[in-house]
Amino acid sequence: MNRRVLHFILPLITAAVALGAWHAAVRMSGSDIFPTPLEVLRGLGELVQRGLLLKYIVASLFRVSWGFGLAVLVGVPLGLVLGWFRPAYAALNPFIQILRPISPIAWIPVAILWFGVKDTAPVFLIFLASVFPITVSAMAAVQNMQQVYLRAAQNFGLSGFPLFRRVIFPAALPQVITGIRIALGVAWLVVVAAEMIAVDSGLGYLIIDARNAGKRYDLVVAGMVMIGLIGLLLDLLVRRLEKFDEVRWGYGQR
Amino acid sequence: MKFIRTLTITLVSWLTAITLLHGGLNLDWFAKKPENRQSQTFGVGFLPVTCHLTCPVTHFINKNLGERDMFQPMRFSGFPELKEMFLGRPKEMPATFILAPMAIALREQGVKIKIVHLGHRDGSAVVVHKDSGIFQTQHLRGKTVAIPGRYANQRLILYRELKKVGMSFADINVVEMPPPDMPAALQSRSVDAITSGEPFMGQTELDGYGRTLWQAKDVWPGFISCVLAVQEDAIRDHRDEIQRLVNGIAASGKWIDQSMGHRMDAAQFVAKNYYNQNPRLLSYVLAKPPDRVTYSRLAPLRADFEEIQQLAKEAGMLQGTVRFEDYVDDTFAPDPAAVQPQKFEVQK
Repeated sequence: MNRRVLHFILPLITAAVALGAWHAAVRMSGSDIFPTPLEVLRGLGELVQRGLLLKYIVASLFRVSWGFGLAVLVGVPLGLVLGWFRPAYAALNPFIQILRPISPIAWIPVAILWFGVKDTAPVFLIFLASVFPITVSAMAAVQNMQQVYLRAAQNFGLSGFPLFRRVIFPAALPQVITGIRIALGVAWLVVVAAEMIAVDSGLGYLIIDARNAGKRYDLVVAGMVMIGLIGLLLDLLVRRLEKFDEVRWGYGQR
Repeated sequence: MKFIRTLTITLVSWLTAITLLHGGLNLDWFAKKPENRQSQTFGVGFLPVTCHLTCPVTHFINKNLGERDMFQPMRFSGFPELKEMFLGRPKEMPATFILAPMAIALREQGVKIKIVHLGHRDGSAVVVHKDSGIFQTQHLRGKTVAIPGRYANQRLILYRELKKVGMSFADINVVEMPPPDMPAALQSRSVDAITSGEPFMGQTELDGYGRTLWQAKDVWPGFISCVLAVQEDAIRDHRDEIQRLVNGIAASGKWIDQSMGHRMDAAQFVAKNYYNQNPRLLSYVLAKPPDRVTYSRLAPLRADFEEIQQLAKEAGMLQGTVRFEDYVDDTFAPDPAAVQPQKFEVQK
């Protein structure tokens, strides 16, 4: 078998084994509360029929896109600046390190007080969760840059903004992209927590809502499955970023 | 740089596309606005429980009678989020259904709110696993009992029953748990007994693993768990609107209690449009028995609240620093005997 086919078939085998084990485990435990894969599939079918699945996916993607987009807009420039200017780093880094470990769940009460229960509050929570990994990786990218680039650039007489645009930014880019990829995973990870606020749509809301709906754990698991599958798609998309020449050359160094 | 340009274009188009999709699918941006919405409406918070049933019923009847929008029901999953919205954004949500002891506790902590009406009476129970050996309150000794929260009235009714048989909280193990998680916890026997509002108690009976130890209506007739609380600012500035809301709730309550047909109609339209639950569940708890939860005598009475406050003080839930006049404004509530049920039938 050639490598291409193998790469396609192996994950499918893993999935089949996992689904089989799941089914067998539910049957053997005799639980009528935890759903089998088939029941989850039926639950998903019901969501499609009621036109909810697309709505919920769009709502979650909307919140993650804005929260994460804002995090990139703030995090990358902030990280690059902090990485380059020592005094700025000294002043702000402790503050960032204090905010960084606070879980978005802890921010829920604050988010409701500040933003109410519409879309802004979950966007804020997703922003908080993803801005710190981005800032920290951009900061580290500049600080760990190979000195030889800088010296060479200075020999060519580069300084100021051209130095930043032509040397520092490209050199930092690969590591920044890696940070962004991790942050996107985190942003998608907190979607459930962010939608615990009383929004009325979204995959996280689907999970919370199904808990309120009596014995609908098939929908709880359906929400989990959808979050997982979309997470996989998002990661595949971000990986495409690494195919660009501007990013690839950085990897060649390793 | 090609990379940056491609990335920017992709991101901007994606954000635009997903925003438009979200606006169209979830926010009704492109839907035609109904014409009868002349006034700005305010939000009223509720949870998908029978204690708050009058909130969606009032909204549904009002909407279907073609009246001017009275209020916007805002659904929450738990009391903490509901309370935060009520406290933090009083302009958007000046009124909410909330646990009576929690409302009194907020008042004790200096929050300017008033209870203006009740949401229901009865509609609570202690449920044990059907295979357990718990048949009377004494058998709870040493067992784990799940309650919805420290300011829940279920904690009070439990305290009251334990006291009757000479026991106290020291004799049982009390854990706090969101009501939606309780049925699964009982089924897996990770707790021995659960108590919260309906429909979560009825659900365990319906699914065949729960047995009711006692119903609130049998041990504490007229039991109150949730009330309608309103910000004092709203009472001062929007008296008419609050009066309309209270009248609506009183009349809808009477409507629910008017006939079993109305109860079954309410179970259908509330489960489908507001609670997102299987209508079977609400039909069950509203019918079996029909007086499991009632909605007719909803004016706040001094004697009821003083009993709640006295018990809550004994149980260490409240300080007892505020009086009935401080946390109740009973000028809105119409005399229950004089309230006429809404004139409304569901079109079939």
